[in-house]
Amino acid sequence: MFKKKKSLWLFLLPGLAGLMVFYVAPFIGGLYFSFTDGTINNSFVGFDNYTRLWKNEVFRLGLQNSLELSLICAPLIFVLSFTLSVMLKHLKEKSLFFRNVLLMPYLVPTSAMLIVWTLLFDYGGIVNRLVVGLGQERVLWLQSGAMRVPIVLLYVWKNTGFSVVIFSAALQSIPDEYYEFARLEGASSVKQASKITLPLILPTAFFVLVLGWVNAFKIFKEVYFIGGAYPDERVYTLQHFMNNKFATLDYQDVTTAAYSFALIVLALFGLMYLNKGVRGDAH
Amino acid sequence: MRTDNKTRWKTGKIISITLLSLMAILLLFPIVLTFLYSFFPVKEMNDLLGTRGNFSVDQWMDFPLSPSMVSLRQYYSLLIEKPIYLQYFMNSVFYAVVVLLFQAIVLPALSYALSCFKFFGREALFFLILLLMLMPFQVTMAPSVLTMKTLGLLNTRWAIILPLAVSPLYVFLIRQYMLSIPTDILEAGLMDGAGTVRTYLYIVLPACAPILGAACALSFADSWNLVEQPLIYLSELRDALPLSVMFNAIGESEKGVAFAGAALYILPAMLIYIYFQEDILTGIQLSDLK
Repeated sequence: MFKKKKSLWLFLLPGLAGLMVFYVAPFIGGLYFSFTDGTINNSFVGFDNYTRLWKNEVFRLGLQNSLELSLICAPLIFVLSFTLSVMLKHLKEKSLFFRNVLLMPYLVPTSAMLIVWTLLFDYGGIVNRLVVGLGQERVLWLQSGAMRVPIVLLYVWKNTGFSVVIFSAALQSIPDEYYEFARLEGASSVKQASKITLPLILPTAFFVLVLGWVNAFKIFKEVYFIGGAYPDERVYTLQHFMNNKFATLDYQDVTTAAYSFALIVLALFGLMYLNKGVRGDAH
Repeated sequence: MRTDNKTRWKTGKIISITLLSLMAILLLFPIVLTFLYSFFPVKEMNDLLGTRGNFSVDQWMDFPLSPSMVSLRQYYSLLIEKPIYLQYFMNSVFYAVVVLLFQAIVLPALSYALSCFKFFGREALFFLILLLMLMPFQVTMAPSVLTMKTLGLLNTRWAIILPLAVSPLYVFLIRQYMLSIPTDILEAGLMDGAGTVRTYLYIVLPACAPILGAACALSFADSWNLVEQPLIYLSELRDALPLSVMFNAIGESEKGVAFAGAALYILPAMLIYIYFQEDILTGIQLSDLK
């Protein structure tokens, strides 16, 4: 560890300056807009913008949809990536091929997949053939609330691999002896996963869950490509609301929405730290 | 008893391989289909895509798996006949490459400062980066539009490039990796009279090769898939829009070449992935998660 080196600034400054100019300063500067009324006088209006925005039905619709979609996607990805990582651990060195395949969709641009998605989920498409094969009625996947299914699947398809990589890295740090011992004791693989794997990778698991949730919260690309800029109200996200507010240059609403949003995330962040503190005490 | 457990372990392995194979087929299916259809004749694809949106209950779409003849016509049309696709494609290349260049200068250096130096406010700064990393894009984007406007960067390419140049996620990942470098190595370097700059260039960076490779691939994937930023920052500079935003708009006029367009669009990301695959699998380590 280097102490009191002047060269520190050489390394620190470019990044620090960038962070300050493009992330921190706007964040503080934007507060001004969320507390003023945007007229020529720009008078201070306290929390009026916030109360107005929170009563705005379109904003609430966007918030609700973003929350719902993220609460569908994040747990799905979490469970799926954990299960896949445990299976990969079974395979040891032979898992390379599968890990590559799992991560591949992460590299594929969302818009390039739209065309295939519209084929698969068409009224006469493959997915509906499966649905009919299972004895159900065909579904209009690309309309109204049902649109959530192709959207969520596209999101999960693309993002599961990244969580698998993080999980796999954590799983690799668990010594094989633990499992050998458990096997000698006759523990089933489900028991091994829940009694050995899960507790040992808890910090990573928590990280994956939080990062996955926050990322899923900003779900937009999938909705934008499948549903457009003004999609059905069951998939209208917060990002749609903000994009449309930008189009009308309503900075008051946009910044107010952003800070309302930040508060929610900060609350979650606080919970995460609290949780860590509690766990720390327990040990 | 032992053999019983062993067979159970083996069964577990077989189940794992089966399920993983199924999963692999499911995941690869859309990509393989895209590449397969990119070699179909333009007319055949036009006809197929034209049958979409038919809501009659007794009709199914065709699902052809082999073309009447293998054709490169789609590619020819995209690359030679209609330069518009290439124009947006090159925009995407531009963003990906320039963002990577900026990141290469800024991010490892910042991570180095945050992991190998002791200074006042280090923990606070790292906490801030963690916070920024977890903030949804909507939160940081809204106020930054105002900054862009003040700086005169709105509707210029810089509005896309500069915020990405200091992406908090990669600072986090690279710093976590740098923490795992044994401090003895750094101190040995100092003893030998290497300054902090030489230590950085000759010891730290080479030791971080896996995470740097991983970050390159992930950052490329990010830039290759930009949607939110261009829609907001470049709303009045349509010529500078990346392919990620324009791809489907171009596809509307000539559907028959859409699959070749998608395949060409996927290809660079694939190649980059294949080049860096080992780095991605070994570089992302969060063992020091704090």
